[in-house]
Amino acid sequence: MDCQCCNKRPAGIRICDVDDNSIEEQINVCPDCFNLIKRYMFDITKPLMVTADVVREVQGLLNAGDKALATIPEPGGITPVGKEPVPVCPDCGITLSEFRAKGRFGCPRDYEVFAEHLDPLFERIHDVQPARHEGRLPVNSAGEETVQHRQTIADLRKRLDAAVAEENYELAAQLRDQINEAETSKQPESSKESS
Amino acid sequence: MSEDAFDSFPHLLGEWLKGSGPDSDIVISTRVRFARNIRGFPFTGRASDTQRADVLRLAEDALRQVHLDRSVVTLELNKLPEIKRDVLVERHLISRELANGEGPRGVTYGRGEMLSVMINEEDHLRLQWIKSGFDVDRAYHALCKVDRALETVLPYATSDRYGYLTACPTNVGTGMRVSVMVHLPALTLKENIDQVFKAAQRMNHAVRGLYGEGTRAFGDMYQLSNQTTLGRSEEQIVEAIKAIVPKILEFERQRRGQLYTEERSFVEDKVLRSLALLRSARRLNVQEMMSHLSMLRLGVDLGIISDVPVRTVNELFILGQPSHLQETEGRTLPPNERDTLRADLVRSRLAAGTN
Repeated sequence: MDCQCCNKRPAGIRICDVDDNSIEEQINVCPDCFNLIKRYMFDITKPLMVTADVVREVQGLLNAGDKALATIPEPGGITPVGKEPVPVCPDCGITLSEFRAKGRFGCPRDYEVFAEHLDPLFERIHDVQPARHEGRLPVNSAGEETVQHRQTIADLRKRLDAAVAEENYELAAQLRDQINEAETSKQPESSKESS
Repeated sequence: MSEDAFDSFPHLLGEWLKGSGPDSDIVISTRVRFARNIRGFPFTGRASDTQRADVLRLAEDALRQVHLDRSVVTLELNKLPEIKRDVLVERHLISRELANGEGPRGVTYGRGEMLSVMINEEDHLRLQWIKSGFDVDRAYHALCKVDRALETVLPYATSDRYGYLTACPTNVGTGMRVSVMVHLPALTLKENIDQVFKAAQRMNHAVRGLYGEGTRAFGDMYQLSNQTTLGRSEEQIVEAIKAIVPKILEFERQRRGQLYTEERSFVEDKVLRSLALLRSARRLNVQEMMSHLSMLRLGVDLGIISDVPVRTVNELFILGQPSHLQETEGRTLPPNERDTLRADLVRSRLAAGTN
């Protein structure tokens, strides 16, 4: 019997979808395709699918070539090894790769959102280590207050990301609420001045 | 907003061209620039026309509130014809990028043309102050006053970690660029200019052409500026420029002296041929004009020419630019007509006995 995925190699493994102890579907595949299917199934960024749908997806990737196949994450046991979430600025919508391609930020918030990627870049551009501001900052108190406020929100966001990574959704929800509260309680003055 | 400001343009020129100030034998001008952005808006490149219009209005209101000078001029560039925008570029009041940009954008400048504030260039605000000669301290302190006044009415985008936040990562931190425009004919003639470039680069400074990034160094004019803005205080940037520029000046003066003592006839021949050519030519293209004006400027400094003030030479560098000629004529001109007009202008300004 030929593999029902690649239709080339001999099938040696049978995958069964089981629902309430009854076998819903059986698919016979070769060991190579089985590995791909397993990796595809363990990718937690994908929705849960029946085996037949997974096989169809993997077939599509097989036909599309090696580049497409490479999008299936490497096996890593139970720990989901997926694509890292693409950093996107919630204010201006620019992604890290877009910033890298253009060499221009979209808005001031990007400096927070992409913070962990910026220091090496800044150290290179400005030939300095650490990449920290040494000059003056505006002195008006409103400005300082807002800077601190911004920092608080940035810290909260970092903790939120960490909580999500650890799958601590309870803490994540709390942090989310705190961020929302902080953001609505103290809008920057600029929006008011312009009205 | 008003175009009246242009009436005086072709005849009056900025303070920075007067050819005075420290080291004005070599240094044309010193310019200090701060890049600033307003919190709550995306940077210009990613802002909608509505957001750009808001930024323009906020900036204009703020500039009015701090009323720096009763005689500032504000122009909305999207309402200005191309030639007039190019005139502003030729006068170093705005950048080529702002002139050719899109959407609501503007410039506010003082009548003396020392202060200029570009609005909605790559950053929301680009403040600059130009002084004649090598005068970093004065230019820096004058610009600081404007900046300090503006920060009380405009919420700048800053962070403790990275300082003033800018669209391009090369400007973050202080957002400060000091550019010194230098005339280096002797170093160019003696083919030492590459040495200067390399030495400047090693010290994190860049050398560019007359009109900034990517422009050629016509007329042996170069701009030296700091390349890095993060991890150094404003004072450190000023001190670095003050340490580097005198070395270049010394090198240029030494080569000028060498030309005058060891190759007198060579340099006299070059200078006097240039003067004769400028006083006789019926057609001059920009490049030709600038290279001969450069020799003239050198000749004035070496005392080979005594009847032409340095200010006249400096002014011709600007007045002979294509858009200035066309603005004077009030219409666009084909290149050959411009060359004729340019030659007329130069002849009349350099005519013996007029200065």
